[in-house]
Amino acid sequence: MRALIVEDSCATRTILSQILRGLGFQVVEAGDGSEGLVRLEETGGADLALVDWNMPGMNGIDFVRAVRRRAAHDSMRMMMVTTETELESIARALEEGADEYVMKPFTREVIAQKLELMGLWLE
Amino acid sequence: MGEMDLAIQEFLIESRENLDQLDRDLIAIEKDPGSRETLDRMFRTFHTIKGTCGFFDFPRLETVTHAGEGLLCDLREGRLAWSLAITGILLELVDVVRRHLAGIERTGTELEEDDSFLVEALGRLRDRGHDTSGPPIVPGPGSIAAPARPVARAAAAATPFSGLAPASRGEPADGSPAASPSEGTIRVDVGLLDKLMNLVGELVLARNQIFRFTVDDHTSSIEGAVQRLSLITSELQEGVMRTRMQPIGNLWNRFPRLVRDLSLQCGKRAKIEMVGKATGLDKTVLEAIKDPLTHLIRNAIDHGIEFPEERLAVGKPAEGTIHLRAYHEGGLVNIEIHDDGAGVAPSRIKQKALERNLISPEQAARLDDRDLLRLIFQPGFSTAETVTSVSGRGVGLDVVKTNVERIGGTVDLQSEPGQGSTFKVKIPLTLAIIPAMIVTSGGDRYAIPQVSLLELVRLEGEDACRRIEWIQGVPLYRLRGELLPLVDLNRILGGAPPQPPAPGVDPVANIVVLQADNRRFGLIVTEVIDTEEIVVKPLAWQLKKIPIYSGATIMGDGRVALILDVLGIARTAGMNAQGGECACARSDVAADATRSFLLIGLGDGRRLALPLEVVSRLEEIDAGTVETTVNREVVQYRGGILPLVNLATRFGGATAPRDRLQVVVASDNGRDVGFVVESILDIVSATPEVRDLGNSPGILGTAVLQRQVIDLLDVPSLIHGPAATMKGA
Repeated sequence: MRALIVEDSCATRTILSQILRGLGFQVVEAGDGSEGLVRLEETGGADLALVDWNMPGMNGIDFVRAVRRRAAHDSMRMMMVTTETELESIARALEEGADEYVMKPFTREVIAQKLELMGLWLE
Repeated sequence: MGEMDLAIQEFLIESRENLDQLDRDLIAIEKDPGSRETLDRMFRTFHTIKGTCGFFDFPRLETVTHAGEGLLCDLREGRLAWSLAITGILLELVDVVRRHLAGIERTGTELEEDDSFLVEALGRLRDRGHDTSGPPIVPGPGSIAAPARPVARAAAAATPFSGLAPASRGEPADGSPAASPSEGTIRVDVGLLDKLMNLVGELVLARNQIFRFTVDDHTSSIEGAVQRLSLITSELQEGVMRTRMQPIGNLWNRFPRLVRDLSLQCGKRAKIEMVGKATGLDKTVLEAIKDPLTHLIRNAIDHGIEFPEERLAVGKPAEGTIHLRAYHEGGLVNIEIHDDGAGVAPSRIKQKALERNLISPEQAARLDDRDLLRLIFQPGFSTAETVTSVSGRGVGLDVVKTNVERIGGTVDLQSEPGQGSTFKVKIPLTLAIIPAMIVTSGGDRYAIPQVSLLELVRLEGEDACRRIEWIQGVPLYRLRGELLPLVDLNRILGGAPPQPPAPGVDPVANIVVLQADNRRFGLIVTEVIDTEEIVVKPLAWQLKKIPIYSGATIMGDGRVALILDVLGIARTAGMNAQGGECACARSDVAADATRSFLLIGLGDGRRLALPLEVVSRLEEIDAGTVETTVNREVVQYRGGILPLVNLATRFGGATAPRDRLQVVVASDNGRDVGFVVESILDIVSATPEVRDLGNSPGILGTAVLQRQVIDLLDVPSLIHGPAATMKGA
């Protein structure tokens, strides 16, 4: 399984990446939405994308929209990584084609549960 | 745990970068309060820190950043208008966040400090904003949080993944996205760069070594290969050095905030403008100049820029401007700090220096404006009427000078009273690889940094005999007619003291003329080898305390050579301040509390001292050439007539007749006199406390020099006063 992390904070990227690796994913990281798109093209796609909401450059919702506009990554599941102040935006992201959301701060268990919900990981 | 440590490290680094940016943005937003881009960036900084805090369990930091995020959210949404109070509180918030980060770095946990006052103040600001602009247009996060969760769940269930998102046309992100900055740059551990730099240093040494092997071997085909190796090594060296270069802007970025805070604190108005932000400097140099530059900025605001009303009164804008400029020039970096303030009046400096006994009235009379301005770098000097909390605290510009000189730089001041002042700082690009002169002494090799080197003098045969004066073991050399104190390297290193050359042996002397601070001196070495690029290695702790070495390097043949610290040598040799300088570079007679004196013997054990700056020459004359006019003794000297004063008889002693007379030629206001003395003993530096113990005419006072009580000669009175007309010898 391959995962793409789109997140501008290095620290959060590291935490996410450690959790996902622990769950057996191969991880690719990107600092914002447009870099995320580039990584997708380079690596030929991923099974899962964890997408931060608020990023400089291309933000999370634009990334989701851009991905969903291309048929190539239709099968990729996308999970928004948010904080409680951004909850109002989650509905919009889900409308645009995101599949799940997870709220910061999260634990390994929360991520695992969400992945299980999406059918991407079974304990 | 290790994984978490890594994440915390990254958290600290990125948070600090973001806070630096936030500092800049806070200054920028005062000019353009509506900038959405800036507000977004500021919001994101708090947002990211807050968001990441949750992972590490830093609740206090999370609370304060959450409050900051809320305030910025209001600003962004237009619920609150920008005000000075907001800038103030956000700056305070940034400080609190930085303190927490520092605490996390030190102890792994956030500080135990109570930030509730700040959180409350932020809350009050927000409330006040809401009161004036009516109720919030968008419901607060609290009211939306509850419904949002179920919506999300439901939506997730309903559309597991859909490819039906409506395509919006003209979305720039489609196709080839703009390159994000993270693609073109990577973050590299400084430790790795240091290691690379070290390795390149070793490579340079190995290259030098191979180069030496092939110097004599022109036929071999290896020569071409060595030349290529040499070229590539140089390029590699330059490249690695460049990776360690950081734009000076990284350092300057803190200054807008500093200027803002300080000017508010002083009740002044000032802005800062910067040119040459991209000028690159080695990381270590950049760190080394951080404090001196900060100090100069503080100084500019505290002492340079006037109060707004004063500025308006003289037709200047109420807001003062500090200009920073940086540029490369000849392997050095020049940094100028200019303020359009009141400037420094040399006359005022003179007055202060006299009040503080930094200079004597005689010295003061001799100093030109440039020299006077330099006085402000003297320890104990401060032009502020009162010590202020800004640049006061008893720390003067002498610290700036010391710190800049420590890394091989210089600092100078130019000032136009009424128009402002400019401090010019010159520093080397890097401290890692420097050009140096290799010399030997006592069989060992030493490196002298080229930056202090003025010239090389080689004396052979009779020449050496005649022009170096070995007077009581104190060597002096006349370089183009001026006295240059000589220091024997071997003696400084603890070897045998220099001996006057034995008769019959062809004497050779190699003198390396060095500039240390404002003084010049000649260093006698056994042999001068060559100049070489050397890689500076730090000294082992055992050697660090020895002031005459600044580092070590490895030579082409693998042997270690110590790098000499020119300032340290000058100090060790007891040539403080203007030892030598007075005689050598008259224009540079900086007035320093420490002065140099020529110690002379009058026979029968009596000694006298006279300030070295009045001494122009030391002569030995044939007693037969002394002529007696009506009331005095003279000698024909350099196409003129030099009156002689025999100090032994002048001060009531007797002298044994001699064939050769030791004469100290002294001048004051264009008039010369030759003091006939028994012997010339030494040159000493001291900060003498001159006391008038009811001395006889011709004696200025009594001072303690080298733990002996010695009378100081009043040279002007002996030249111009009645004593000069008295019959001498």
